Amino acid sequence: MNLDWLDAFLVYGLFSVLMVIGLALLLHLQLGLARIANFGIVGFWGLGMYAFGVLFVRVDWPFGEVWAFLISMAFGTLVAGLAGLAVGWVIADLDTDGVLVGTLGFATCVWIVATTEQDLTGGALGMGGLGFPYDIGSVKANETLWLAILAIVVALILYYVSRVHKSSYGRLLISIGDNEPLARSLGKRSFRTKLLLFAGTSAAMGFLGAIFGVMERFLDTGNLGIDITLAAMVALVVGGTTRTWGAVVGAALTVAIFDILFQSYIPFPQSWYGQAIPNIREMTFGAALILVLMFRPNGMLGEMRRDKLMRRMHGS
Amino acid sequence: MDIISDSIVVGLTEQAPLILAAMGFALLYRLTGLINVAYSETITLGAYMAMWINTTFDLNFYTILIPTGILAGLISVATYFAVFRPAKLRHVGGLEMIIISFGLSVFLRHGLQFVFGYPVRFFDVPAPHTIFVLGVGVSSFRLVAVISVFVLALGLFWFIQKTSYGLQIRALASDEGLAQVSGIRPLAVTVLIWFLAGVAGGLAGAFYGVGSAAAPLLGWRQFLFILLVVLVGGAKNIGGVIIVGAITAVSLTFMTLQFGQALYSQLVLIVVFIVILKVRGTRAAEAGKV
Repeated sequence: MNLDWLDAFLVYGLFSVLMVIGLALLLHLQLGLARIANFGIVGFWGLGMYAFGVLFVRVDWPFGEVWAFLISMAFGTLVAGLAGLAVGWVIADLDTDGVLVGTLGFATCVWIVATTEQDLTGGALGMGGLGFPYDIGSVKANETLWLAILAIVVALILYYVSRVHKSSYGRLLISIGDNEPLARSLGKRSFRTKLLLFAGTSAAMGFLGAIFGVMERFLDTGNLGIDITLAAMVALVVGGTTRTWGAVVGAALTVAIFDILFQSYIPFPQSWYGQAIPNIREMTFGAALILVLMFRPNGMLGEMRRDKLMRRMHGS
Repeated sequence: MDIISDSIVVGLTEQAPLILAAMGFALLYRLTGLINVAYSETITLGAYMAMWINTTFDLNFYTILIPTGILAGLISVATYFAVFRPAKLRHVGGLEMIIISFGLSVFLRHGLQFVFGYPVRFFDVPAPHTIFVLGVGVSSFRLVAVISVFVLALGLFWFIQKTSYGLQIRALASDEGLAQVSGIRPLAVTVLIWFLAGVAGGLAGAFYGVGSAAAPLLGWRQFLFILLVVLVGGAKNIGGVIIVGAITAVSLTFMTLQFGQALYSQLVLIVVFIVILKVRGTRAAEAGKV
């Protein structure tokens, strides 16, 4: 297949945008519906990435690379899910301050382990040896196929989120997020619901982290900064924390502008790409969080449709 | 015994800025109930401003502490008027306030790099004198940090417990509505708290900076420990923050000397603190709001 028309920056830019959409959709379930403020997204994402990478690279597999790859992927997802279960157990009955400390603390712990366990992770020097589980020709062709696989994964997450909104489970999450003591008094098992939600979404974040590791082909602790958490949070807040499509719209208005438009289509001076544009990107994201939450707290898409419906019905 | 005395002396002197920053953060937390993530940038700003005043005006380290504290306090007040007060007037929720402060933190951190450049910046100071305490050599800068913590702690305690402004602060923190009808001017008291918190954060940044360098992530790297010290120790009063801060400082140094790896000691302490918060449950955060 002739892929000359496709710019390598565009492939990577689209990959970044899709990755952020996937994480923001999962954050939507946690923050938008159940009001669990996960500030440690990078911890679960990074744990999945490193668990996958370490198992795939460090183990001398007796069978084919594809099987090793799939088992490692499953392992990365499982480890992130188990971590989500443990962290979820800690934070499920804490208020927002406790959730902030628990999730931020977990992300810091992952960074510390990745940095110190040099024999396993390569530490600050990083770890190579990752690659695609197929070879269809050029590097660009392999990366484009991997981008398509990520697109399918994100589409499945989007489909699942839209189903949650229409289900009784979604209503349960919203009721817990709105008023947890009331939900508990009505017999809803809020602790267990939050715990399972947190574990499931953390596992999915780990899976996305493993997918990212394959695209990068080299793991280093520089990936475990606050950037990915910030990008997912900005995308969700700008689009609308309570809306299914909020993450998609938000990512299109934020990450896509910097990672696709600025990288591939606006001819900035070459020297700007090193540090100036990434700095402007983060400053803009920070300012967007402040301005949107102050002036349009429900994001671009506004409040949940069922809230509007309820207000029309009750005339308030 | 050597390792214990080493841990106490090195821990308290090395981590004195942590206690100082935690005191400022606790003051703000008690008044507003807000986890202000952007407080980490007050620390970073303190380091950068101290470095800038030091290298631009060729002033010695001890002299620059006064303008650094005042500037950091004023910037802290400016963030209150520019961001947090308008957000409060718009009735932004508690969770959203934390996210706003996170956004402000990111904005300031990267804005600083535009102002001061991307590489880390060093102070232009002569090598500090070494003073021996219990047989352990300590730099004079670190000793000044310890003395600052001591003086500020005493000052804050006296201010909050013994002065009319302190009484107003306590009244405002416990019930803003009742405080207002009692004739307390909430704005003046709130501004005062933001200023004092900024001074403490800025001075902590100056002490951190002179010990290493002014770097964009300086404050952010300390933020989790500041938060943990305040949530675990700040339930009752500033004294709790100082005690937990001191225990943190000594434990970190003790474990670092034992493991030979500072990051492992941080890992252990994070886990221990989170377990404490879990055991104490939701009361931990609520109790912090006087």
